[in-house]
Amino acid sequence: MSATAAIDVRDLSAAYRAGAVALRDVTFTATAGQAVAVLGPNGGGKTTLFRALLGELPAATGSAAVQGAIAYVPQTERSRLDFPVSALDVALMGAYARTPWFRRVATRDRAIARAALARVGLAERANARFGALSGGQRQRVLIARALVQDAAVLLLDEPFAGVDRTSEEAIVAILDELRAEGRVLLIATHDVEQARHWDRVLCLAGAQIAYGPPAETLTNAVLEGTYGEEIVMLDCGHRAVAIQHHSHSHAH
Amino acid sequence: MRWLTDPLAIPFMQRAVLATLLLAVAGGLLGTWIVLRRLAFFAHAAGSATFPGLVVAGPWGIAAPLAALGAGLGFAGLLSRITRRGPTSADAATGLLLTAALALGVILASDVYESGTGVDRLLFGTLLGLGDGDIALAAAAAVAALLATAALGRTWLATGFDPAGAPALGVRAAHGDRLLLVLLALTVVAVLPAVGALLVSTLLVLPAATARLLTGSLRGLLGTAVALAAAEGVGGLLLAYHLDLPPGPAIAVLGGGLFALVALADAVRVRAVAR
Repeated sequence: MSATAAIDVRDLSAAYRAGAVALRDVTFTATAGQAVAVLGPNGGGKTTLFRALLGELPAATGSAAVQGAIAYVPQTERSRLDFPVSALDVALMGAYARTPWFRRVATRDRAIARAALARVGLAERANARFGALSGGQRQRVLIARALVQDAAVLLLDEPFAGVDRTSEEAIVAILDELRAEGRVLLIATHDVEQARHWDRVLCLAGAQIAYGPPAETLTNAVLEGTYGEEIVMLDCGHRAVAIQHHSHSHAH
Repeated sequence: MRWLTDPLAIPFMQRAVLATLLLAVAGGLLGTWIVLRRLAFFAHAAGSATFPGLVVAGPWGIAAPLAALGAGLGFAGLLSRITRRGPTSADAATGLLLTAALALGVILASDVYESGTGVDRLLFGTLLGLGDGDIALAAAAAVAALLATAALGRTWLATGFDPAGAPALGVRAAHGDRLLLVLLALTVVAVLPAVGALLVSTLLVLPAATARLLTGSLRGLLGTAVALAAAEGVGGLLLAYHLDLPPGPAIAVLGGGLFALVALADAVRVRAVAR
């Protein structure tokens, strides 16, 4: 990992088509070693923010600057489970960008991919078919792929969706390690409890609602602003708990 | 043994075998990507859509491959227009255009140009009467499929596996997809003289679909699909020779039968494992 990782987003608005703004007024900075939960409902702009940071969606206004190599860790539910690829094959995809089209993936990169799988606790499963792994294992393979990319900035899209409790704890432990190494993590989630674990939380509902340390930021007012009427507020001691109705529409 | 060697001593059979082997390389390799990317119905429809082009090629004095390519591109253009503009899904639009192209071809052949017996050849191919140009086209498709698989295989694999994540891997996904469609068009045009507009799936889809039941690795899939396409092609030719059948349909029946057998064996195996 080279260069100090950082994200600096100022007054960012992004649109899929001219006039159809999917996300606006986003301003935040994340520095090396910070993990930021990106909290919001489906269609709230989490994926739009990621695509803008990846440079796949030009900023309509404002700017999104990323320092250090960036990687995207998709939801495992979006990948094709019937594909003829092993865990190692998927990890090796992280080396594609540095492999010339006329060459095979370098032996050195194969070693890097095996080491990345070992790091996420899947050394024994390197040759298993990706589709035969559990949801949590698949998510860890996709994180290993980002490590093979040597990413300093990781954008994780709902890494805990469809993952059992044990796997969730394993993934949190890996992510804790990665931020301790000075990487920047953006973790999209719609789970308020999950968001509390990280250094910062960015609340998105078509626009930025709030940004800051979770303890100060996740107030009832902010959660209501983020989830609108979809939310049921329960007062558990001093903490607000959001119970979101599940809807899977993607308002692009 | 003479069942095998006698036919292969005849020059027109040798040509047919050569063409079949070249097309097996093109069809097996590209077919693997077509099946993995779920483009099988699109490939079948693109083949059928060339039919009206083939019908008018003779009367209009256009080279058949060019006329076929023109019709195929027209099909692809209309398909993307229909699916982009309205609520019609891609598979419904594909089915609609496939039917329209076949009907248009039949009307042109029967009532406008009175093509007569030539229609059979256009629809089901004539593997025993291929010209030098057809063989050259088959060779070009084979070389293109080999080169593309070597150069673009990783791009196609990453894009098919996870379309949303592929661009962030530094893979040129859109570029790879465009080239896949261009290659698909070239391969369809190359297999047309051999198996006709209606049977392009014989070489482009059946071997790869059968191979998927037999192997779980990409290398295995590519190799098995080529081997199956070659075996089914040559086997179908021999069957056609001895039983006096049209070769294109003979290969198709052999390929379909083999798929059914492998699928059955697979189902039995899965049931045995479950017990």
